[in-house]
Amino acid sequence: MKNKYLYLAMALVFSSSTTWAADDDKSSAANTTKQTAAANAAAKDWAVKPLQHVTAPVVKQQKWVRTPIDAFILAELEKQNIKPSRETDRGTYIRRATLDTWGLLPSPTEIEAFEKDKSPDAYEKLVDRLLASNHFGERHARRWLDLARYADSAGFQGDQTRPNNWRYRDYVIASFNEDKPYNQFAREQLAGDELWPDNQTARIATGFLAGYPDNSNSRDLVQRKYQIETDYTDLVGEAFLAQSIGCARCHNHKIDKVSQKEYFQLQAYFANTVVNEKTPLAKGTELDWDKTFTTQQAAYQAATKEIRDKQKAILDTVREKGRQYHNERYLTDSRDSIFKAEKDWNPLDKWVNWRLKAVATDADISGYLKVSAEDKGTPVFDAANIEKWKDYQKLTEDLKKFDKQKPGRGSKTFTTLAETGVQSPQTFVRFGGVHERPLEAVEPGIPALWTIAAGVASPAITPTANSSGRRTALANWIVDPANPLTSRVYVNRVWAQYFSNGISATVGDFGRAGEKPTNPELLDYLATNFVDKGWSTKTLVREILLSNVYRQSSDERADLVKIDPDNKLLAVYPRKRLEAEEIRDSLLYASGELVDQVGGPSVFPKVPNNFNAGQLWEASKGKEDDNRRSIYTFVRRSVPYPLTVSFDPANPSNPHHKRDVTTTPLQALTLFNSDVVFGWSQALAGRVIKEAGDNPEAQINKLYEILFARKPSSAEKSALKDFLKNQDKLIAQRGWDKNYSLAVPTGLTEEDTKKLNPLKAAALVDLVHAVANSNDFAYRF
Amino acid sequence: MSSSRRDFIKNTGLGLGAASLAGVIPGLGTISAATAAELIDPLAPKQPHFPAKIKSVIWLHQNGAPSTLDLYDYKPELVKLAGTVPAPSFLKGIKTSTQGGVGNLFASKRTWKQYGESGAWFSDLLPNLAQQADKLTFIKSSVTVGATHDISILKLNTGDLSPGRPSLGAWISYALGSANPDLPSYVVLYNGDREPAAGSVNWNSGFLPAIYQGTAFRPGPSPILYLERPELRAEVQQRSSLDLLKKLNNIGSAERPTDTELQARLRSYDLADRMQTAAPEAVDLTKETDATKELYGLNDKVSESYGTTLLRARRLVERGVRFIQVVTGAPQGETEVTSWDAHSDLEKNHGVMSKMVDKPIAGLLEDLKSRGLLETTLVVWTSEFARTSYGQSGNGRDHNPWGYTQWLAGGGLKAGFTYGETDAIGLQTADKDKAVDTYDLQATVLNLLGLDHLKTTFLNKGRSERPTVVYGRVVKEILA
Repeated sequence: MKNKYLYLAMALVFSSSTTWAADDDKSSAANTTKQTAAANAAAKDWAVKPLQHVTAPVVKQQKWVRTPIDAFILAELEKQNIKPSRETDRGTYIRRATLDTWGLLPSPTEIEAFEKDKSPDAYEKLVDRLLASNHFGERHARRWLDLARYADSAGFQGDQTRPNNWRYRDYVIASFNEDKPYNQFAREQLAGDELWPDNQTARIATGFLAGYPDNSNSRDLVQRKYQIETDYTDLVGEAFLAQSIGCARCHNHKIDKVSQKEYFQLQAYFANTVVNEKTPLAKGTELDWDKTFTTQQAAYQAATKEIRDKQKAILDTVREKGRQYHNERYLTDSRDSIFKAEKDWNPLDKWVNWRLKAVATDADISGYLKVSAEDKGTPVFDAANIEKWKDYQKLTEDLKKFDKQKPGRGSKTFTTLAETGVQSPQTFVRFGGVHERPLEAVEPGIPALWTIAAGVASPAITPTANSSGRRTALANWIVDPANPLTSRVYVNRVWAQYFSNGISATVGDFGRAGEKPTNPELLDYLATNFVDKGWSTKTLVREILLSNVYRQSSDERADLVKIDPDNKLLAVYPRKRLEAEEIRDSLLYASGELVDQVGGPSVFPKVPNNFNAGQLWEASKGKEDDNRRSIYTFVRRSVPYPLTVSFDPANPSNPHHKRDVTTTPLQALTLFNSDVVFGWSQALAGRVIKEAGDNPEAQINKLYEILFARKPSSAEKSALKDFLKNQDKLIAQRGWDKNYSLAVPTGLTEEDTKKLNPLKAAALVDLVHAVANSNDFAYRF
Repeated sequence: MSSSRRDFIKNTGLGLGAASLAGVIPGLGTISAATAAELIDPLAPKQPHFPAKIKSVIWLHQNGAPSTLDLYDYKPELVKLAGTVPAPSFLKGIKTSTQGGVGNLFASKRTWKQYGESGAWFSDLLPNLAQQADKLTFIKSSVTVGATHDISILKLNTGDLSPGRPSLGAWISYALGSANPDLPSYVVLYNGDREPAAGSVNWNSGFLPAIYQGTAFRPGPSPILYLERPELRAEVQQRSSLDLLKKLNNIGSAERPTDTELQARLRSYDLADRMQTAAPEAVDLTKETDATKELYGLNDKVSESYGTTLLRARRLVERGVRFIQVVTGAPQGETEVTSWDAHSDLEKNHGVMSKMVDKPIAGLLEDLKSRGLLETTLVVWTSEFARTSYGQSGNGRDHNPWGYTQWLAGGGLKAGFTYGETDAIGLQTADKDKAVDTYDLQATVLNLLGLDHLKTTFLNKGRSERPTVVYGRVVKEILA
């Protein structure tokens, strides 16, 4: 039996938590929303207590303290008589810091410069260089997009492309790069349309909320409204406040003191929110992609004008009937709104009709034309439509001939939130969370648990000219400096990005079921300092990177086994598996193949031939598609990009708080067998030859510098040299195709390629590929 | 620094003792690699809550929603009332569409017969399956939520109307682990040239770790992506490269002797190596006899592709795969009928789809039985909903989530048994107390696997989650 257990050891790092009997009814919240009860409960809830301005503690080894962070960590270590770990070497530090801030590897030049820099501010210079790069925004944006459940498609069965969602993605990258204050960042994303209706960037920011998974063919629009608002509520509760508020939708929260009524009061902030996915770009704001798209679209439209005009003319003859037929597909209560005269519309009717219009297309009309022409049994059968349908189909065939001229990726539009007016539809408490069972109506309000302890009351709501003002009120409350949750949650997330675990390990749950912070003073220091310094992410990251805690070695320490088995005190730097995007991007970058361009429409890198995604995965257009950073890879909800999918990337269905680490054979298959990875190994081998010449020892040293920022150990060196000695002989004995094809290093000039001994060159590719598969590559230490 | 082992234990609540919490070393991992592997291996076989009746599940999702009224649920009254508007009493409590003239009851051109000792009714669309009548346990009072395929498919597989929860197969992988490390423990099969629409959200692991998600097996000899070596590399090169990789990883591990995560990664390459052989072998039908192939309908163009997936499913069951989710596609070369979704021309649609599945499913049941596997396997015929008694477009039917038929076959069940019924016209479940929702079906499947759906839990963001959300009842009435 032992063998059975041994077969597949996979390590997991979950977002952990101390209480697992969480759904225990005994801990169930009382059925009350009385503020006094909530206030009592809040006494136990550390996360909602007011922030404390803490000063750094006094420590014995004052010399070790470079930043206040160090004092907070060291004070705890000293209490336990633990020594911090030695400072790591510069190579390890620059690899670690570059991966953490950029998601890429440092170059040999950068490593050498840093290692040789004897000036007292060498680390400061390095860190400032890292923070100033666009790569910083690309790296940090990815994790924010995890929270925003970002995707380039709508999800569900149709999973249609959202052709301008990348503008929101680029907004996030730009925000991190320009170090936009987090309070501003939050307000733009929650209520940019209400607060700055004339500012396109602020409106694009609301793509945060607008990115919900959606099925445009839903026949129950009233239920869809509820689903969308549920998504908004849970998203905001989780992303900004780390509150598992969704639990209170079906019943009073069983752990945290949030009632079901309070849940729906929070949901009421979104009751009047609609989305416009096709807002035209303001003149002068078009980017190069948009201009190209516009030109291509104009050419396509000119070429197809006659056909499309004819099609339109046919549809126009049945448009009214077709629309009627289509609208009848909606269910009873949706139809009540749809077939009501516009003058009688209440706010709910307005919402339903906005949605109806947003999802209506000409395909609805042609669908009717088909049914009415083909199905003799149907009541809408109309013999007059038979010819029309034939003509229409013929035109569709004609139109297909122009498919190749269709404009590429890009758009002339952006997506933004909006509202249908000042008045909001009513929000109801729903029994068991079930849509079909509405109970009492509620007004917007913040759960007492989050307001009482901190003394930040529910905000007043002021409508704007054509909007309810509800989201503005919510946003302002969220970023109120006195609101302890927002800053605590955010600094804890950033900390977790640099130290694997948060100060509270449950980065997505600051409720009672979450873990208490291991160092509450440090958390409050970081949170207050963050707000005081203008909500600056870069300032926060800078302090972390320059701390002695971050500079420690990650070497194992057996002396800590009993004292701090989970490394909560951080006497050792925590080593970590690279995230999905880091693995791909680092290989790509090391190979020298990275197309380093910030922003733009998402791309479709090459996928294996048997991927079977049909039209949902477009064919790669070449290097521009294949070799961009992973953040620009198209996120199709139903078809994840196969090269990175097994490395625990974010799941775009829900806010994704923490990257798990699983180790699976599918990962091994991907890295070892993918033609793409192998191709990068060929390119990296070419780079090694270019930079190190043809001496095997120099090649091995160069490779280790590029991938690991260190020299190989003597054991490694001898294993690698032995391999090179034998591999070319093995290759010589292999079976051959008629062209004697062999994978040799790429990226060299034709002349240099000719100089290579093909067998030895192929052996070097194999060596590079094996090294790129090793643990030393997949981890940062 | 990994706190993986402790976290895993805390998150599962699956009965790993508190004693095993000792011995984690900072800088990584645990003292004893063997013990560590046992504890941190998320796919290590785990004990169920009570003795299991079955080992594997074949989940036959009939995509697009067949009209079970035209397959199993014989309603003479509907034939009589065809062409008339249903009495308001039949429509009470349901939200309907009016597209295409909802109103007139519709009867298709079926002929009906009773089969087997159980006397179960089958229409002429399923002549082969009808021969297996006494192996089946019908639930004729199925209900669900939703009028749109994708949201109801999500609910069927994951228990929610929005994407993000783990699918049933993921829960099972998580709760029971793997019985064969050389293959994924949760496999998705489909026939047709592309993945089912909506794709991976229906077999994903939601908030469970990614390792529990389903692996979609592709048609053809190489079922998993990246199973084959890079084009220009010879086997001998792969082999020596793997040896080098192992050497390098061992050298690295020597510096971190207690880092079980790094050791796990080293072993994952051995496992991948084995999977490279095991996965193609598992789907290789060349060793199957002609008789077996015929049994699954491989000699008929309409049923060939679906039959192939079911024969693969049986081979996966033999190899210990826990959960096999089979999604119907379309026969090869068929472009007009691509799912059971017969809003119009039900005659043609169901003619094709029934022919595609009838012989393969009957063959699967027969084959499992003859190999002694039916007692330890559960086969489930299921769909996101079914179709209305009233017609649509004159000769089709609309969506019906209010009353329809599903069936189960295999270990632990009352075979040749029917539970529940629909009303006289087959529109709604007759007795609401006997309604079987998707949660109830899931709870029942878990029960047969020895799992209590209330105790199969995972802590997610502070909330103890279970497969059946806050619902679910084991349909004890159908259990043997």
